[in-house]
Amino acid sequence: MSPPARPAGGLSPLVPLAYLVCAAFAFVVAALGVAWLGPELAGHYYHPLLLALTHTVTLGWVTLAIMGASYQLIPIVLERPIWSERLARWQLAILAVAVTGMMAHFHLGTWPGLAMAAGLLAVGIALHLVNVGLSLRGFTRWTFTARLVGLGYGGLALTTLFGVALAANRVWPFLPGAFFPTLHAHVQLALLGWVTPMIFAVAARVYPMFFLAAAPRRWHSFLQLWGLAAGVPAVVLGLLGVPGLLVAGAVAVAGAAGAHAAWAFEMARGRKRPGLDWGLRFVLTATAFLAPAAVLGVALAADRLAGPRVALAYVVVTLGGWISLTIVGMMLKIVPFLVWYRAYSPRAGREPVPTLAQISWPRAEGLAYLLLTGGVVLLAATVLSGDAAWIRAAGAVLALGALAFAAALARVLTHLWTSRGTTPDWGVRRPAVLRDV
Amino acid sequence: MSLSPDLITQALRRVYDPELGMSVVDLGLIYGVEIDAGRVSISMTLTAQGCPLRAALVEWVRLAVGELPGVEDVRVIVTFEPPWTPDRIVLTPSR
Repeated sequence: MSPPARPAGGLSPLVPLAYLVCAAFAFVVAALGVAWLGPELAGHYYHPLLLALTHTVTLGWVTLAIMGASYQLIPIVLERPIWSERLARWQLAILAVAVTGMMAHFHLGTWPGLAMAAGLLAVGIALHLVNVGLSLRGFTRWTFTARLVGLGYGGLALTTLFGVALAANRVWPFLPGAFFPTLHAHVQLALLGWVTPMIFAVAARVYPMFFLAAAPRRWHSFLQLWGLAAGVPAVVLGLLGVPGLLVAGAVAVAGAAGAHAAWAFEMARGRKRPGLDWGLRFVLTATAFLAPAAVLGVALAADRLAGPRVALAYVVVTLGGWISLTIVGMMLKIVPFLVWYRAYSPRAGREPVPTLAQISWPRAEGLAYLLLTGGVVLLAATVLSGDAAWIRAAGAVLALGALAFAAALARVLTHLWTSRGTTPDWGVRRPAVLRDV
Repeated sequence: MSLSPDLITQALRRVYDPELGMSVVDLGLIYGVEIDAGRVSISMTLTAQGCPLRAALVEWVRLAVGELPGVEDVRVIVTFEPPWTPDRIVLTPSR
């Protein structure tokens, strides 16, 4: 009997891989875009090209990566099989067209086209929610992770509604109140209501597996969950017209971030895993970015800091530092696993096969680590200063880092094809199952 | 050489978690080995209930033990009682 061609309860590894490859492509495009848009990034953030750039990151990179990872991880973290593989495939095609359409129409500044692309995007996201919802039919084990996933998908639905409303409002103005508070609420819903709970949720289940360490303790879990559950609605309502809630909400979210960081670093210190690979270094470094993100977020909410430069720096450390570096780190763990599973698991036990570490490319991963972390710090500092030349330089560093990351992934992906030929010598002869490391 | 739990444990040291690069023995995933003539029963766990490698690890354990001389049948039982914790890891020097 051979092992199944797909991980237990999951889809074919090619489905999440397709999402993750599309996401990595968007990441490279966005990083190149930062270098290209230096002068625009030195100005006000509400600029068509910057909206195109931001949505390339939030939709093309972050959302596609989380959805792809969800199709791989939901069977693991929630122990439920995915309802429909076919729907997952269709959903990716719809999202790819919609995101490309949105980028193009932001770039061209054509609002009716943008509204149509946003509508198509909403269809793609709705299909994902349907697929996940049906996968979780009858689900009763509302653990910490499951509640955070529920919170995250609620945040995704609201972010999408806000986004579609903002796009439609450009064609048929109907939204009450000022424009920028609604825009800021949309941004915070995406960062804090959709992406952050999903990262906390997945981290709670997979970091202990990766680090070989203990799961979050009760107070860590409580603060992470309720800090977000109470804080994000308060931030959004505070932005939309109940200003008294804004600071309290920001402090609650900062508390959740602090609890997550405290757990992650405690776990890293007490881990049983002998060494840290680049993926784990990425996620720990990303976690450290929660500190400046929380400080800037609370300061902006309390009006201790203000203006588009600080707001842009907040977005850089949150979206570029905390969120993007976490996703890069997780992808450096997930992609080799999926490729290995597809290429080598049917042969393991019958002939020598590599470990995941052996199909990875640590040099490229290390280079990506230096360039991406350095690039994010540099970009945050330079958008604060508003110097276009330095912003462009930071963008160039980021772009090189993104290319190194893409190269590392591409080399892993080559095993999907090269593994079919003659068996390379991975070091141990039969009957060894895997090479000793 | 007659079958013994030690011999089977040695065989299981060749079954690795591909992500961690550690054997199922070092990870503390093997809860028990029983031998009844040529029939071997192995009780093991996984690092998480939804472990994507569940079917594969079971198969690799079966293959590694099944190759030992004198083994006629291998039965692998996956249990989560008691659940696995990192405290079960016993690191041995790389061979």
